[in-house]
Amino acid sequence: MSRINDVGGMSGFPAIIEEPDEPPFHADWEAHVFALNGALIKRGVYNLDEFRDAQERLPVQEYLAASYYERWFAAIRTLLAEKGVATPDELHVPHD
Amino acid sequence: MSRTTELAPGMRVRTRATDPVGHTRLPRYARGAVGVLVERAGAHPLADERARGRATEPHPVWHVRFAAADLFGSGDHTVTVELWEDYLTPVEES
Amino acid sequence: MSDDHASSLISAEVRHVEALLESRGLLGAGEIDTRIDEFLAGGTPANGARIVAHAWTDPGFAARLLADANEAIREVGLSMAGGLQEQRLKVVANTAEEHNVVVCTLCSCYPIALLGPSPSWYKSEAYRSRVVRDPRGVLAEFGLELPAATRISVWDASAESRYMVVPRRPAGTDGLTEPELAGLVTRKGLIGTAAV
Repeated sequence: MSRINDVGGMSGFPAIIEEPDEPPFHADWEAHVFALNGALIKRGVYNLDEFRDAQERLPVQEYLAASYYERWFAAIRTLLAEKGVATPDELHVPHD
Repeated sequence: MSRTTELAPGMRVRTRATDPVGHTRLPRYARGAVGVLVERAGAHPLADERARGRATEPHPVWHVRFAAADLFGSGDHTVTVELWEDYLTPVEES
Repeated sequence: MSDDHASSLISAEVRHVEALLESRGLLGAGEIDTRIDEFLAGGTPANGARIVAHAWTDPGFAARLLADANEAIREVGLSMAGGLQEQRLKVVANTAEEHNVVVCTLCSCYPIALLGPSPSWYKSEAYRSRVVRDPRGVLAEFGLELPAATRISVWDASAESRYMVVPRRPAGTDGLTEPELAGLVTRKGLIGTAAV
């Protein structure tokens, strides 16, 4: 089915913003998410297409509200749960 | 997918028009459109299958060039999309 | 909620998942830091600039680059094998008649192993949605006004190849050395959203 990642030709997105310094990551956690994904793919926990698929399956409103690496992290947690590595509860910081 | 015609550069092809259930690498804007094969871009397992955790043999991939007007109804540029052969059907020349 | 607060919350969540994976033997101690360091020390636009400058000064290399970029870039000591696996590189050259620009409309495919991280705008829906439909307008927003007679060719990185543009060599650069020429080439030039 048509998915929210498939935006070629769509109207309604905001103007293109160029950052002056264009850092590769905007926070340490983003670099960690990037490296975590590479490590899990290299280990064969999932493959790159499964990773893209997991991002595309995020609820549309959540997808659009999320930043680039927030989408990555959501997809990683989705796949770790689906692959049986951990339960969804285990993948979240416990709340008291 | 069975195919009676070997694809070759210069050939006109039509892309799949249907909307698949899962992950695919045929962008929506290039569905059901006619373009021209530019050149082979290697062969790779089909992304649609790999996204379901299935390993497949490599399938040919092509650079396919579309006139913007054929995709969007306007525009004087071209868009060259990289597409698995599975998404393509040769257009019979009349 | 402030950005800092949101960032510290997600930092804690990421650390939590990392610790869990370490405890289950799916992540080595220090593996994340090593990967980050390797990534940041890896590809850079300077690699692309070197390739472009060599293509400007050696027509034979330019021809080989357009025919089989993976083989050609080995001549200057570079390769596309730095990532998870060697990726196919497709190099396209701008001419007086035609300007090329690269996008990935479905995600954010980019030759990271060669050119390093992509800029945020390249990954944005704003760029990805519009450049396939109105490249002339998008390029003008980047300050690149092309003559009306220049054809625009957009390349969508929708499968396994990664793409790089060879910009046109600027006029008045005949006396420059190859390193000086490389110094003129920008990351946007290699994507096609700047003239050089």
